[in-house]
This record gives sequence, structure tokens and C-alpha cells, in this order.
Amino acid sequence: MGATTTTTYSMWSLFRNCRKACEWRYIHDLVPLEQDHNLAFGTVIHQCLEVWHGNGNLESVLDRIDRTYPNRNQDYAQKRDWHLAVAMMKGYASRYATEEFDVVSLEKTFDGKIINPATGASSRSFVLAGRVDGIVRTGDEHYLLEHKTASQVDADYLERLWTDFQIVLYSRYVEQVLGIRIAGVLYNILVKARLQQGRGENEAEYQARRAALIAKSKTRKTSAKRKLPESDDAFQERLAAKYAEPGMFHREMLYISRDRFETLQAELWELTQAFLDARRRGVFYQNTAFCFHYRRPCAYFPLCRSDGSPNVIDNLYRKVPPHEELRDEASVNEASTF
Amino acid sequence: MLPTKTTPQKQNLADLTVLVYGRSKIGKSTWCSHSDGALFLATEPGLNALDVYQVPIRSWDELLTACGEIAEGKHPFKTVIIDTIDNAYRMCSDYICTKFKIEHESDLGYGKGWALINNEFHRVLTKMAFMPYGLFLVSHSVEKEIETRTGKYTRIVPTLPDKARKIVVGMVDLILYCDLEAVTDEEGKTSYRRVMRTKPSPHYEAGDRTGRLPETIDLDFSKFTEVFNRPAAAPKAGVSRPISAPGDSRDKKPVPAGK
Repeated sequence: MGATTTTTYSMWSLFRNCRKACEWRYIHDLVPLEQDHNLAFGTVIHQCLEVWHGNGNLESVLDRIDRTYPNRNQDYAQKRDWHLAVAMMKGYASRYATEEFDVVSLEKTFDGKIINPATGASSRSFVLAGRVDGIVRTGDEHYLLEHKTASQVDADYLERLWTDFQIVLYSRYVEQVLGIRIAGVLYNILVKARLQQGRGENEAEYQARRAALIAKSKTRKTSAKRKLPESDDAFQERLAAKYAEPGMFHREMLYISRDRFETLQAELWELTQAFLDARRRGVFYQNTAFCFHYRRPCAYFPLCRSDGSPNVIDNLYRKVPPHEELRDEASVNEASTF
Repeated sequence: MLPTKTTPQKQNLADLTVLVYGRSKIGKSTWCSHSDGALFLATEPGLNALDVYQVPIRSWDELLTACGEIAEGKHPFKTVIIDTIDNAYRMCSDYICTKFKIEHESDLGYGKGWALINNEFHRVLTKMAFMPYGLFLVSHSVEKEIETRTGKYTRIVPTLPDKARKIVVGMVDLILYCDLEAVTDEEGKTSYRRVMRTKPSPHYEAGDRTGRLPETIDLDFSKFTEVFNRPAAAPKAGVSRPISAPGDSRDKKPVPAGK
């Protein structure tokens, strides 16, 4: 890292959660070789929403999806994601055909100084950069637009939005850098349908099911027929019906407390000091409580378990410069690991 | 309890933990059979053509019993070879399913079955690696489609399930990929020589923590030990060199893996 290092919310969040993981990502530049499927799908939907809110043209959104999954006829995973993305964006366009806000800016990047709250001096080591999904205006007030894809939206999910450190921080910087007063955040949540396209059954599977039904039947007969694969049109219809349900899209508007700004500014400063100390002493300790934080192993779990084995680094990770989220369209596929 | 001096770097091949993988019949077991004081824990048939000491292993319980006897040390063996580690993992899976009275790993819900298997597998392999013997793990190879941030490509990896593979890769000192390398003579005729690849590539998994091995070496144990026992170069430590991108002209693309 150079004299003044660009940092992002992702970096500070990771540093706060697990210093060791932060070291692997931001000191050694390591990311897992294999892409996380959920993050990749979320990136595609973010791109689609950018197009939709940019020109309001569903055709160009669908064209974008088609180009993202060129091998969908041969590749099951691509086809599954293509179906989901198409149904999600058609449902979204239908639900929000007219909006109550005007789009001021989309995918806006910013950077700003990190201030010592005690002295008012700015950090000589770090600046904070970020990218907001959008800035919208409703009436006289401006809001940050924040897209989220989720597998389900329940009470816990909505409660957690209040603790979103990132968006409050970004509001502060957007105000400072762009000179726009941000009243709050408009969370735009799209739920991923869990429907699966029916794959049908082969003759052997059908005969096995039929035999089981006959064995259970008192008459020793069954009218069961072989299940055929569900056609693309039939599956899209089922998905469209699902996305017509009210719970598949949700918008939540939260107002930002001015007091929170000061608290977060102070927290961010503390994080920078802790990071400098860790880097100076070369000590980035592990937070084992974070290893399975999302009910799955952390991306760096194999690396920590092997004590940083070069074999693991060479075979399961690759080097990618940090802060991918700040890069432009050309590299937008390279979504952040965290 | 605490050490008063550093542990010396392991000099003997029979002190290392090694993963040897490649297509069927390429010569993985033959190569391992030449190791010092070799004892095969044979979890699958296929050693009939070799004159070796072997213990047929039909279950995880039998593997544990064999490991217990090896740990007692009342034997002349110096290198333990699990041939294949793929089958040993399946046995570990059956053992856990029987122990928890389930038919399938997924029956316990929330991935608990898989976690129990991986923990047991990790526990036993770690214990074996700490024994004062060499530990060679043999696996077959398979082509796996890797979806990266910049696209998809095919990579040759050991046939172990993903999480088990990550456990093994993190534990071993050497990952040796047995491959066929095309050689063209002066008359333009192409023949294939059997080699071991020892350095990582986008196209296959390999690795050498000792830093002693060349990138490619003949699949011949005597040549291997000759190179390994030469005065050591600096061993690898900490974060190593990054992998070049797929398609890099410096990377030799291997012959597709056998099942």
C-alpha cells in the first residue's frame, strides 16, 4: 500500500469482522479462484437495474441478460440463472412501471477524506472511496438508492437495515463530495424465487416411482404417468406468477439520523488507527467466530486452516487488486468477495 | 513444552506428506511402491501387478485399526501410502452415516452430515501426518469446470469432493500431478512420456512447498529422489507467486484427465 491508500467500506467491514481475512484480501490481494454464485447473480441484477433505471427500456434489460448467459442452452446453471433474472426483471418492470422518484444519478463513485474527530485533521494514510447504486429525488429531498437481492425478506432482515453501517457512511461522503443533502436511504429489495424448473424423469425413474405407487395401492394399480421436463415457457409462466406476489419486491425508506454520522466518523477513525497498528506490527489475528458467520465457511477458511499453505494459495486462490467494486463496467463482473 | 530451537527443514522424502494424482494406469501406485519402506493401505484393488506390502482396507474402521498398529511402531515400514484417498473418504462417509444411523450425509440437515465426515477425515489425516512416517495419498484425476470472476475454464483436479480436496491440499507438502507430455522427434512423430508436474498452473493443481523440484520431472522414482536429494534451494515460505491467467502461453496445457 502506498502513502495514501484508497479504502472502501468492504475493507473496513472485513477488518472489523476478521483481521486475518482482511490481511489475506487487502495485504496479500488474494481472492478465491472460484466465484461465489450468489454474489455473481447479485451483480447481474445490479447491472440490470442500472439499465432499467437509466432508460426504462425492458428490452435492453432482457438483451443484457441474454448476453450475460450466452451458453444457457447447454449449461444448466446458466439457464437457471437466466430464467430467474428474466422473470425477476420482468416482474420488477411490471411492479414499478412508474416511479415516485426521479433518478439523479446512477452508480456514482466518490472518494473523500477520513477525519480525526478529535482534531478535525484528515488522515495522511487513508481516503475512503465507494460507489452508490443511485441517488434519487422525491419532492425536495434526496435519497440514496440501494439495491439488494435476498433469498427472503423477514422481520430480522428489515431490522438489520437499521444497522447498515455502509449506507450511512456513504450518505455522509455523498453529502461532502457532491454537495447534496441526503435525507435517507431507499432500500430496493428483490427476492430470489426458489422455484426450480421441472427436469422430468427418465424411464427407470418413472418405473421405480410407478412400482412404489403400485406397492402402496390396495388395487395394485396406478394412473401415474411419466413426468416430462418442464418447458421454458411453462417455467417462465410459473415464475411470472410468483413474481406477481406482493412479497417478491419490497421497498423500505429509512431516514438517516444526523447523530449517527458523528458516531460512524469516530468509529471509522478508530478502525484506521487499529489497521495502522496491525500493519506496523504485522499482526492480523483471526476472529474464529466469523469463520462460519453466514452459515458457510468464510472464503479464506481453507487458507487459515492450512496456516497459509503456499499449496492452498497457489491452487485455490488468485491475486486480484483490491476494491473491485470501484472499477468501471469493463470489470464489473469481478464483484467483491465480501 | 515450549521449543528451545527451531525444527530443521525435512530432508527426507519419507518424512513428507505427498498427494499423487493422475489418470488411471499412468503409474501412480508403481511410483509410490518405490518409496522407502512402503506400506500400502489399499482401499481399492489395483495393486495386483505390484510386489508390495499391503493391507486391504474395506472400511474406515479397518483403516483406523491399521493406523493404530502403524502408530505403535512395531514394524519396519517408513512410508504409508493410502491408495486411494478417494475411497478412504467414501469409507469415512459410510462410517459417519452408520454411526449416526442415517442413509445419506444430507439426512442430518444444515450440512451437519458433511461437516461430521470432513471433521473425521481431517482428524485422522492430521494424526497420520504427525506420525514419524512419510504419508503418500493417491487420488485419480478429473476435469472440473471452474467458474471464475472472468470466465469459465477447465482444470484437472484430484477426484476428491470439493471440501475434502481443500483439506488435503492444505495439509500436504507436495502435490504431484501425473500427466502425459507430448514429445515430437526429429521426424515429426509425436510420442508421449509420463511426467509429474510439480508447480501450480491454471490447468491443473500441483505444488511443491520444499522448493526443490523442477516444474516437470519424469514419472520415475529414482530420478525423482535424485533431484529431491540435491542440495536444497530456498524453500517456499509465506505467500508464493501468483498463478498466471488461463491461456498464458507459458503454461503447458496438459493432456485431458482420465476418470
